[in-house]
Amino acid sequence: MRRFDYHRADTLEQASRLLTDLGDDTFLFNGGTDLLVEIRERLRRVRNVVDIKGIPGLSDIIYDETRGLTFGALVTVGRLERLALVRERYPNLRDALASLGSIQVRNRATVVGNVCRASPSADTIPPLIADGAFIHIYSRTNMRVVPLAEFFTGPGKTVLAKGEIVTGITVPPAGDNSGKAYIKHGRRKAMELSTVGVAVSLSMDDGVCSDIRIALGAVGATVLRAPAAEAMLRGTRLDAATVKSAADKAMEECTPISNVRASADYRRDMVGVLTGRAINQALEASA
Amino acid sequence: MNINTPIEEREFKIVGKSVKRDDVLEKVTGEAEYTGDVKLAGMLHGKIKRAAIAHARIKSIDVSKALAYPGVKAVLTHENVPRVLHYGSPHPRSASCTKDQYILDDKVRFWGEGVAAIAATSEEIADEALDLIEVEYEALPAVFEPEDAALPGAPLIHDVGPGGNLVLDPVRVNRGDVEAGFAQADFILEGTFSGGRPHPAYMEPNVCIADWDGSNKLTFWTSTQSSFMVRGILAEVLGLPLTKVRVLVDHMGGGFGAKQDCFQHEFLCALLAKETRRPVKMEFTRHETFVAGRARHPCRIWLKQGFKNDGTLVARDMKLVYDSGAYGSHGPGVTIVGTTAATSLYRCENVRLEGRCLYTNTPINGAFRGYGVVQSYYPLDIQMDEAAERLGMDPAELKLKNVVRAGDIAPSGHPIVGHGLEICLQHGIDVLDWKSIRNRDRTPDPKRPHIRKGWGTGCEMHGSSAYPGIKEQGNATVKVNEDGTVTLLTGAAGLGTGAHTALAQIVAEELGVRFEDVGVIHGDTDVVPWDIGAFASHTTYLVGTAAKMAATKVRASVLERAAMKLQVKAEELDLTDGQVFVTAEPGRFMSVAEAMGPSRGIPAANIVANGTYEPTKSYSFAAHFTEVDVDMETGIVEVKRVVPVHDIGRVIHPIAAQGQIEGGIQQGIGHTLTEDYIIDKKTGRSLNAGLVDYKMPLSMDMPDIETIILEAAPDPGGPWGAKGVGEDPIIAIGPSIANAIYDAIGVRFHHYPITPEDILKALREKGA
Repeated sequence: MRRFDYHRADTLEQASRLLTDLGDDTFLFNGGTDLLVEIRERLRRVRNVVDIKGIPGLSDIIYDETRGLTFGALVTVGRLERLALVRERYPNLRDALASLGSIQVRNRATVVGNVCRASPSADTIPPLIADGAFIHIYSRTNMRVVPLAEFFTGPGKTVLAKGEIVTGITVPPAGDNSGKAYIKHGRRKAMELSTVGVAVSLSMDDGVCSDIRIALGAVGATVLRAPAAEAMLRGTRLDAATVKSAADKAMEECTPISNVRASADYRRDMVGVLTGRAINQALEASA
Repeated sequence: MNINTPIEEREFKIVGKSVKRDDVLEKVTGEAEYTGDVKLAGMLHGKIKRAAIAHARIKSIDVSKALAYPGVKAVLTHENVPRVLHYGSPHPRSASCTKDQYILDDKVRFWGEGVAAIAATSEEIADEALDLIEVEYEALPAVFEPEDAALPGAPLIHDVGPGGNLVLDPVRVNRGDVEAGFAQADFILEGTFSGGRPHPAYMEPNVCIADWDGSNKLTFWTSTQSSFMVRGILAEVLGLPLTKVRVLVDHMGGGFGAKQDCFQHEFLCALLAKETRRPVKMEFTRHETFVAGRARHPCRIWLKQGFKNDGTLVARDMKLVYDSGAYGSHGPGVTIVGTTAATSLYRCENVRLEGRCLYTNTPINGAFRGYGVVQSYYPLDIQMDEAAERLGMDPAELKLKNVVRAGDIAPSGHPIVGHGLEICLQHGIDVLDWKSIRNRDRTPDPKRPHIRKGWGTGCEMHGSSAYPGIKEQGNATVKVNEDGTVTLLTGAAGLGTGAHTALAQIVAEELGVRFEDVGVIHGDTDVVPWDIGAFASHTTYLVGTAAKMAATKVRASVLERAAMKLQVKAEELDLTDGQVFVTAEPGRFMSVAEAMGPSRGIPAANIVANGTYEPTKSYSFAAHFTEVDVDMETGIVEVKRVVPVHDIGRVIHPIAAQGQIEGGIQQGIGHTLTEDYIIDKKTGRSLNAGLVDYKMPLSMDMPDIETIILEAAPDPGGPWGAKGVGEDPIIAIGPSIANAIYDAIGVRFHHYPITPEDILKALREKGA
């Protein structure tokens, strides 16, 4: 493993300053489950890491009925996964959390870290986008809140400017008659990176779909929404034929690539299959 | 697990019991010392510079910047290491290999081959300095597929060997008259098959530590299955007598066959230590285990067989091509064993086989559990299912009709002694009520309409030794200590299979002492008797018999000693549970400790005996019955349930035997469904050389495995009839899965791994 310098920040301001002052090749060190592996595998050139685990106030998990669920940047995947509240109200997120890495990794990795890594195949992103989550960003001059769907600009790339730090994520509350699903597709059942991940969050009103969001992972440069497919479903009763055509539409909306994990064609096929399955699973959950 | 024992020869006290392994406590507490745990004062760390090109001549190497880097102590290149042509697989009694390797050469033959080595004061510094070595290459045309390597005019990878990129001359086996056989056939089946390149993925990456002392003696810790082979080839290449090379290996995190080569890093580590006069440690990254370790030989197989309408096999014509990668390693052994294996399994009097092995510019393939036979039995078993379908028969019934019987000539050229395969198949058919499985209601579950279920069978047989390719020799020394405890010295490596426990059980049983009173000393070539290495499923069979022979001798000596003290004749005595007693008068007894120990005027006894055993061959057998779920929409195959029925002769340690079977099945599921190197066809670079994208099935993917072990066909060559089990389970599982997939979705696959994309593509072509 290549050598790097370790810095520990006690405040957000200090962390932000270190990020700015230490120059390129400086990265925040949170759970470290991706960063350290990338250093070891020589996938990322790192000169400095800034450890934010000692910064107070970033470990909170807050829920209220109007604003929803807010968790800080230091909240681990495992901690969130084990919360009854998450299991009951955000089952899509829970399934995504539970499918990430191993138990050991989940007890170390943070949700915000998984999001900020900005991998198109990150498991936590599709359910958070389908649920309309917001991301809280600190900078030394101001705070801003950005819809998660607008946070990513490419693989590994986000709207974060130099010195900006994500402090937490808010997921709006689940409405009545809402249903959620996340289906992860890979070659094995655990310790797997998604070949395709599909999240669906929907609301039913008297048998009619009043709202639906579909988020597609690992089939584009970022996690994608499928707006045309969603439009086909809103206002319908989500009967089999409509779901099938919307799933076909989602296949057109994604932009997968071929790599060692799967071909683009296979990924596109899976978007069709899994979108249909996820809609039906969410529909069943809404009842 | 169910052990079915129709034969009863004697009552065992220790053999056949799952005694507590003597290494479990230190392993679960993390105290067991593996090679990577060894730390020596002043130890340096070595790293290898690997080529990022598949075939090239090195025009120049500039190491000046690396040498000047603070902390770097030595750099080796082809310009300053001994140029000694050597074997990659140093099996001392195998004449089948060509010497085709140098420690470092001025030529690169695969992407990832080592071209230089650095020793530095830390692993990080060594790693950083790798980038400072500047290598200028002259690229050569490369070949990545055996078909291309065999073409006239293909770039030649070596200038040794038979030429034409052949690793060895084609292996030809002829029995009977194949043309006459085909002439009698009512129908003929013909097909081409291929197998991927699975990696053994042993838990412990290759690691070694070299230390030279003031007398110019090399002490060498290394994670190896064959420490005496490493000693021999290091001594030969470094020009040392065997007294000046001591190889040490304690616990190992697996090897699965692959750790029986002498690797490039082992030579380099020894030379770096010599150059710096300091101990040097070299440990592979996981990535390096893929590019510089050893994998299974990919294969292309053409198989044509003739059948009578009653299911009799009348002719078999088979051509096999194995891909050796850039060096010979085990290519010759794998080709010979894999090709000759096809004489058997399903009996056929007219057989014509041709096996070839070719060099390609890809990572080196070596020994891996199932040694060539995984490849050759896959087509044999699948084509049997195809014949059954043609005949309108149950595949299991057709296999039952054709499986080898006692007295048939085995691949080794010997008549088969035990006749276990028919019993394994029949037992599985009975236990599962196979007919009802075949005739089950095949309507899909309305809750999972996209899932199709299938059941398949696969058969295998495998030798418990490498004979006749290698004439093996098992050795053991047994000493009885003056307190009545017993020390077994063995060269057999402890890969993690529990071999030392089994050997101690055999000694305790034969000698008549408690299992807990037998200690095992292993893994030090200066101390233990010579050993050929732990491979070929032979440790219990081969070294177990040698240990039993040594125990027989010391038992006689203990009885002599006790006879003197009890003032009776030795023939009047018996020995069990560490007590010597007069058979006719059990009240007259003394402990082994009392017999051995000193008493007035009599010094303590010194009882030591050696056992040496040179076996021929025995075969173990298995039939696997496998259930799969196939998702028609995603192409995902899930192995749900496996009922493996194995005959391995006398079972020494049931839980360890079961563990071998379950582990082999898991590993076989991997190569059948998910595991394969992905090698870039343009550059020869391995694209998934790591555990992220090389997909091994994990615990969550493991099916229900209901192991059944039969002791129906003991072999007189093993201790109380024991045979091998290490390799068997990985051979039968593959075809059983392929056959189950056919049963589920009506599509035949002739290759592995069978990926979800393959399934969807085939379903589309079928119009499903």
